[in-house]
Formats: sequence, C-alpha cells, structure tokens
Amino acid sequence: MSDHDPLLAVESVSKRYGDERVLNDVSFTMDRGDVTVMMGPSGSGKSTLLRCVNRLTDVDSGEIRLGDHRVTDPGIDVDALRRDVGMVFQDINLFTHLTALKNVTLGLREVRGFSKDDAREAATEQLERVGLGDQLDSYPGELSGGQKQRVGIARALAMEPDLLLFDEPTSALDPELVGEVTAVMADLAAGGMTMLVVTHEKGFAREAATDALFLDAGSIAERGPPAQLFENPENERTAEFLDRVSTVSGEP
Amino acid sequence: MSETGATRTTADTGRVVSGSLGRWLTIAGGVLFWGWLLARWLNNWLLPAGVGVPPGESFLDPAAVAPISDSLAFAVEYLPQLADAAWLTVVLTVVSIALGFVLAVPVSVARVYGTYSSTVSLAFTELIRGTPLLAQLFVLYYALNLSTLFRGLPDGGVLPSAVVYVAIIGFTINSVAYQAEYIRSALLSVDREQLTAARAIGLSQRQGIRHVVLPQALRFAIPGWSNELVYLIKYSSLAAFITVPELFNVARSIAADNFAYTGIFALVAVLYLGLVISASKLMAGVERRVAIPGLGSTTSQ
Ligand SMILES: Nc1ncnc2c1ncn2[C@@H]1O[C@H](COP(=O)(O)OP(=O)(O)OP(=O)(O)O)[C@@H](O)[C@H]1O
Ligand SMILES: [Mg+2]
Repeated sequence: MSDHDPLLAVESVSKRYGDERVLNDVSFTMDRGDVTVMMGPSGSGKSTLLRCVNRLTDVDSGEIRLGDHRVTDPGIDVDALRRDVGMVFQDINLFTHLTALKNVTLGLREVRGFSKDDAREAATEQLERVGLGDQLDSYPGELSGGQKQRVGIARALAMEPDLLLFDEPTSALDPELVGEVTAVMADLAAGGMTMLVVTHEKGFAREAATDALFLDAGSIAERGPPAQLFENPENERTAEFLDRVSTVSGEP
Repeated sequence: MSETGATRTTADTGRVVSGSLGRWLTIAGGVLFWGWLLARWLNNWLLPAGVGVPPGESFLDPAAVAPISDSLAFAVEYLPQLADAAWLTVVLTVVSIALGFVLAVPVSVARVYGTYSSTVSLAFTELIRGTPLLAQLFVLYYALNLSTLFRGLPDGGVLPSAVVYVAIIGFTINSVAYQAEYIRSALLSVDREQLTAARAIGLSQRQGIRHVVLPQALRFAIPGWSNELVYLIKYSSLAAFITVPELFNVARSIAADNFAYTGIFALVAVLYLGLVISASKLMAGVERRVAIPGLGSTTSQ
C-alpha cells in the first residue's frame, strides 16, 4: 500500500476470553490523519480491539505498534504509551468528583507535569474547542450527556495524543444530543486528528471517515471507503447488519 | 392554581419556622454545652492559680441553687469533676480516630488493590475485629506493659499520663481495623471505570487511586466514619479498666464514694449524649461541606 511506516499497525491480533475467540487474526493499519470507523454487531470484539491498542487489555498473539511504541511488548511503559493514545468511552467516565476544568487539568498536571496556571490555560482552551468555555466549573452531575461527552473528548485531547480512540461515544446519549458530539468529532477529523472510532452513526462516517471496517465475530469481514461499504457491501453479514442499523437510526 | 399555591406557601412557612426553631435550639444547646466544657478546661489548665475556681469545683455555689431544686444542686456539685474527666474522653476519641484514619487509608487501599499486602491487611482487620477491645487493651497494658515506654513524659493537667498513651495506641489500632473496613467498602463502591479512565490518560495505578478513587471513596465513607466516631466516644470508657481517669472512671469512683449511682450516671449519660450528638452534627456538617453535585446519588452518569 504505502512505502512509509503507518502510525498504527495491528498485525494478526488474536484474543480469547476463556473458550470464546473474541479477536481472530485481526490486521489493519492507519496512517496519520486517517479517520477509521469500525462497525459490527454487539460482542464482535470492537471494544476489546480498542482496549488492546492502549493496553487496557493484553493480546494473546499478534503485534500492535503505535509510532515508536511496541504496544504488545510485555515490558513497555504503558503509562508512556497511554500519553500518546486518548480514549473516549461509551459511558463517558468523567471523574465524578471533579469539575469539567479539573477533569481536563488532572492529566496535564500529573502526567504531563504542567504548572497549575499552564494546566488551567491549556484545559480552558480545550474546553472552548469543544464549545464548553462557559461550563468550566460545572461538575459532571450538572452537565447534560452531550456536554459530558464533550468534556470527555477535551480530557483526551488535552494530552495531545497521536491517536484518539472512541468507543461508541454517542450510544449512551439521548438522540437529540448525538449531533453536538459528532459535530465536535467531525471538526477534529477535519483538523487532521487521527481517529479510530467505533460508532454506528453512518452520517458521521460518511462525512468524516476515510475508512470503514466491519468487524464480525472477531474478524474484519470487510474494509473500504465508507460510501462503498454502505452502498455496496460485498459481505452478506455486512449488508444485513447495515440494514438493521439503518432501520434503527431511521436512515434510508 | 393560585389557591393551591397559597396553601403550599403557608405549609412551607410553617415547616420553615419549626425547622429553624429546632435548629436554633440545637445551636443554643451546643453553644451552652461546649461553652461550659471549654470554660472548665480553660479554668483548670490555662488560668494561673488563684484566678477562677480550683479544678473540680463549680463556678456556682451548690448551696445557692439548693433552694431551687435538690437535683440541680447535685448536678452543680458533681458536674465539674465530670467535665474535667470528659477532657480525656475527648482526647482519647479525637486522637485515636485521627491517627486511625491516617493508617486506615493505606490499610484499606492495600486490601483492595494489593496482592501480598492484601492478605496482611485482611489478617490484621480480622484479628482486631474478631477480638474484644478490652482484651486488646489488657494485652497492651498488662502483657506488654507498654506504659513503661511513656514513663519519662511529663503528665498531669492538660497533658495526659503514660497510661493514656497506651489507651490511645489501643484505640487507634482498633479504630484502624474498623475504619479500614468502612473505607474498603467505599473503595469498592467507586465505579471501576473511574480508574480505567484515569489509566487511559496515562496516570499510574497509584496516581489514579490517589486522585480519582480515594477522593470519591472517602466521601462515600463519611457515614461509616460518623458511626465509628460515635462508637469510639462510648468505647473510650473501656480505658477505665486500664486506670485511665476518663469520664466513666471518674464517675465510677465518685459514685463509689457517695453511693449516688443513679444521679452520677444520669449526669454521665447527659455528657456522653452531648458528645455523641455533637459528633453526629459535626460529621453531618462535614458531609454537607464536601458534597459534590451528582456524586453519591444513585443516578450517576
Ligand atoms: N473482561 C472480559 N472478560 C470476559 N469476557 C469479556 C471481557 N470483555 C469482553 N468480553 C467478551 O468478549 C466479547 C467481545 O466483547 P466486546 O466488548 O469487545 O464487544 P463489542 O463489539 O464492543 O460489543 P458491544 O457493541 O456490545 O460493545 C463479548 O462476548 C464479551 O462478553
Ligand atoms: Mg463495546
């Protein structure tokens, strides 16, 4: 494909929990600036794959590299790796006891060693970037789901990661709040951020993704540009699944 | 619409008035109780000799209130000695719960997140919670003869004597075990994904526990902690059995002299009650003060 090293390389990754093969010989690469969406039925291993990339989960076999990090080497410094990969969660998982601002400054202070003032300034900037400059001192309990998820994005962005992972960032949100989050994500994509996004938002995928993957039972069943994958899926399972998602989200 | 609005306003006003009356009574009672206790302690230890009244003697002359009521005269006569003894009860409780807290945090963290240290922590808490507090005090005092360690220290008056240090050690060890249990279950009730989120931005496990899990867990632990404080106030009376002259011990010896067991222990009960109510009010205040919107309510994000 290309003659340079990709930013992310996933090679023949397999993972099982007990007898269940959750990931089965998964390989793909992403270049800097790529926005890859990953779709697939519940239980197909999407979250597991993301968690392998920032080593919240260990692979059984195969190899993952991210820039200079040999992610799957047992001896690597996982904290250093995680400084370079951000993650946005389905359940958002904001630090419940901290204000929006403090959610963002914590990593800046403790991981990146910013001074108090620098951290405050950088965090404010990130929160303004996701449209929450007026909610700096709100606690998560005082924010709407969409606002919380945008804080979650700002928290990940503040670490200036090379790659941002999104695990169904909008599926816990009320439908009317999805748009404000996908808009922020589309902005990031347009700004050149490298993103690996598990989502069933076809609108976002069409608009912002360079690439779509369809994961089925732990294997990549199909990969291609989003438009092609959605319009003319080659794989029968892909077609069936996309049909179902469309019915749910009311898309044609 | 306007009618129901008016009714509700009246009802609310009624509740507000009776609520604030109760609050004022509580505050007045608290000020009276603590004002008097602090005045006693100041009088005993901080005023130069010759100023104020001698320790153990009341500010009022019991004979002067005798015409009003005999019980009142009895209270005026004996409360001062009991107030002086309550000082040690407060010292034992406050010092032990504070030291116990400082130690209980690492013990509970070890229990939840440690491997080898988890077993040690479990063994310690089970041993301490599984044996009587009085037996623990006896081991420290009689078997290990710990008070000899503190012989050289100055004592008397505001400073506690050697045996008080032994009691503090005993209560602290005991309190570590109980507080560690409260904090342990609080740690477990923090959503696991909070630590995952901390790790995902590059915090180490230790940083994640310190900055994310503990601040939430300690808030969850406050009700248990209030319980422990109330228990400790009452259990501090066991120090009497290793000769500490705290509230219960002093009451017992006064009663042995004058045989007025009912009267003396009624006064003692009032003092303990005052301490316990103060402790609960204080902890409720702390809980309110550190409360965070949305944290601890059942509907989290
Ligand atoms: N920690 C774990 N222990 C045991 N089994 C697990 C664990 N995590 C995931 N699994 C199993 O692995 C399979 C894949 O899970 P995963 O969460 O990766 O799926 P997913 O594609 O993200 O699904 P969903 O769309 O429901 O989020 C599931 O069958 C799940 O039960
Ligand atoms: Mg998932």
